[in-house]
Amino acid sequence: MLRMLGITKSYGSVRANRGIDLVVPPRTILGLLGENGSGKTTLMNVLFGLVRPDAGTITFKERPLADHTPREALAAGIGMIHQHFMLVPAMTVTENVMLGWDAAGRWLRPAAVAEHIRTASHRYGLDLEPDARVGALPLGGQQRVEIVKAILRGAELLILDEPTSNLSPPEVSGLLDVLRRLRDEGRSVIFISHKLGEVLAVCDEVVVLRDGAVAGRARAADTDRAKLARMMVDRDVSAPIAREEGAAGAERLVVADLVASDATGVERLGGVSFSVRSGEVLAVAGVDGNGQAELVDVIAGLRRPTRGHVFVDGADVTARGVTGRRQAGLAHIPADRHTTGLVGDMTVSENLAFRDCDGPPFRRGPWLDFGAMRVAATERIARFGIRAGGPDVAARTLSGGNQQKLVLARELTRRPGVLVAAQPTRGLDPGATRFVIDEVLAVRASGGAVLYVSTELEEALVVADRIAVMYRGRFAGVMRRDAVDITRLGLMMAGALSESPDAAALYGRKAR
Amino acid sequence: MPPASQRVDLAAVRALAPPLLAVLLAFGVTGILIVAAGKNPLLAYWSLAHGAFGSWDRIAVGLNRATPYALTGVGIALCFRARVINIGGEGQLALGGLAATWVALHMVPAPRPIATLCALGGGVLAGAAWAGLAAGIRLKRGVHEVLATLLLNFVGLLIVSEVLQGDLGEPGSGFPQSPLLPAASWLGRLVRGTDLHVGVLIALAAVAVGHVALWRTPFGFRLRILGASAPAAAYAGISPARALMSVMLLSGGLAGLAGAIEVLGVHYRLIDGFAHGFGFNAVAIALLGGLNPLAVLPAGLFFGFLETGAVAMQRAVGVPTPLVAVIQGLTMVFVLSAMGLTAGRRRV
Repeated sequence: MLRMLGITKSYGSVRANRGIDLVVPPRTILGLLGENGSGKTTLMNVLFGLVRPDAGTITFKERPLADHTPREALAAGIGMIHQHFMLVPAMTVTENVMLGWDAAGRWLRPAAVAEHIRTASHRYGLDLEPDARVGALPLGGQQRVEIVKAILRGAELLILDEPTSNLSPPEVSGLLDVLRRLRDEGRSVIFISHKLGEVLAVCDEVVVLRDGAVAGRARAADTDRAKLARMMVDRDVSAPIAREEGAAGAERLVVADLVASDATGVERLGGVSFSVRSGEVLAVAGVDGNGQAELVDVIAGLRRPTRGHVFVDGADVTARGVTGRRQAGLAHIPADRHTTGLVGDMTVSENLAFRDCDGPPFRRGPWLDFGAMRVAATERIARFGIRAGGPDVAARTLSGGNQQKLVLARELTRRPGVLVAAQPTRGLDPGATRFVIDEVLAVRASGGAVLYVSTELEEALVVADRIAVMYRGRFAGVMRRDAVDITRLGLMMAGALSESPDAAALYGRKAR
Repeated sequence: MPPASQRVDLAAVRALAPPLLAVLLAFGVTGILIVAAGKNPLLAYWSLAHGAFGSWDRIAVGLNRATPYALTGVGIALCFRARVINIGGEGQLALGGLAATWVALHMVPAPRPIATLCALGGGVLAGAAWAGLAAGIRLKRGVHEVLATLLLNFVGLLIVSEVLQGDLGEPGSGFPQSPLLPAASWLGRLVRGTDLHVGVLIALAAVAVGHVALWRTPFGFRLRILGASAPAAAYAGISPARALMSVMLLSGGLAGLAGAIEVLGVHYRLIDGFAHGFGFNAVAIALLGGLNPLAVLPAGLFFGFLETGAVAMQRAVGVPTPLVAVIQGLTMVFVLSAMGLTAGRRRV
């Protein structure tokens, strides 16, 4: 169906695509895997007509496609579904489908379009109600609106960019079913993902990119996770994670009955209590937007709770600000490294110091010691293996993984007693993800207490000693590592199950 | 890799090129306007240059003129660095002049440096208080500082007019101005035989202090983080309220000092409308200097000499002085456009 041959594209001295061949047969789900910066995005932008390649040819349905615009790509039958949906929340499903669709006609005929939506919805198992308001749909539903938009516009090849990153496990399996039905009805899909499990579950073929070239291709039936991971990073990241089982120690982070509201006064945190002990990781799983961000902000001192207390090593820090909590031994890896964790326009050395400017070694009397900052930065760049052009380059020039290493370097060099990590691996490739997890586990091994918030259940299971699921501002349940039940966790994330956890699970005491 | 000093030089050249080009372009375009007005632009610019630099005395006048620009511009640059949009320089400067006048007229007789210092101190306090009032309105009532500082400008200027009509006015002068201040409070002359006053040195010191504060102290670091990213500032434990208040007090104090120097060093009395244009031009100067205290100095000198030269240009060639405002405006447009091109390379 699609044949891309010898696609080459350079940005300055960076060769983003180096002669990539990509062939998608009809009725196929093709998985496109690769680390950040491996060239996936460039390749898809070339296909969709957003970027003009330096060399290479594209044939789609036996017709050449060259110098095309995104509009022409759409007309030819290529549909792209981005990670961030292009929908108007205040409009209904029908209105969103009609929006910007020439074939809807000069006069709007909502009834006819709604009928089309019903037919397609039935045929592909999309379960969409044409009159529903898009803003009221869960994220999985909004994604299905994007899919129906693409199908009705005649897309025969659908490109989905990281489609599962915001979905709960039941929604993911629903999406995979939809993709299978699309294939069975004669369409093809390019499924871009980091998640090897999903790729293996749904794809017929897998193409792995590395450094702008094809590193390998395989039939999904003939390969496995370890092989794919090796193709992606050319180093072994699937090696078992070193995790010493030791008894958890004293309580280091205690949270008692926290209640908090967002800026508009809506309650986002409805009374959460737990503790994390020395040498222990408590992972908080759940679909994004269920109060995890508010929980982290309240513990970190960025948001005032309306009720409840936070204790670090026995000291009540509820009334303290960010600086006071940091001095008490609390480190924080914020979810948004672009606007919060780092200042992109400042240098690497300034970014490594900006939370520690209230005393030595970076502050001496009334002065900031930029020399000391630079020395410390050079040392941390080496110790954390940060790939940067030196301590004086702007942080924004670093890749996502190296930016996160900057945040880790700053927070972990302090040897914190308590680490609060919010989505620390979001958007990172397997190599960088592995680095982050290893560092977090090193904090645990040295007696720190870690609160690890993640929307990736798989990852939460890897790091956690105990795992809690947040749903609508409360803990829907907490399980010990040795008693994890994936089905029950999935149900909790979807809001279908809630159990009041016992004290042993909440506070980590040994069950007797 | 070239040696460090050479790299720094290159960076400096790259930073200086856009504003210089912009100035040349502005003069070029204005030249066309002068031609359109039927005058010879070369002659006009020669008389402009002569008026600005033709004698030691002219240079002294230009330097004096640049002094309040540099002082106020540094404070505003620090504010803008933290994304605190203080456009109240006009009012802060006016009240600084008023306070200096009041102190000079009412204090017990004292020898020269003490009287001058007291009057200058009064100006600093009044300017800081006026800016602090705007900051307080922002923090307590949520009125954006753009609005609060802008509106307090009008209040400040009218207070000066009002006071000159009443208590502080010179009886029988027929013009809203205060009596001549006691000579003990005047700023000393720097060069005998010219008008150059000590305030120029104060402005130089303020520029140096502003530079060091911004780039070498935790205070300046906090301002820069706050300006670059509010969430990152919160994460760094910076209190936006405290930063806003302190940078406003500092900026207001510098504007008040500028007003006091203008009164004590140039007019020796408070004259209605003496602050006119200083505050808003200082905003332009801060931007022209790329919000870098050191670069505010040349920007302030440029405005100062341009304005003193303009009077000569009008007298000699008959080119109307408003054309100088055109040059100032065009320079601004060109410089800011050039900065837009290089925005990615600017250091925050």
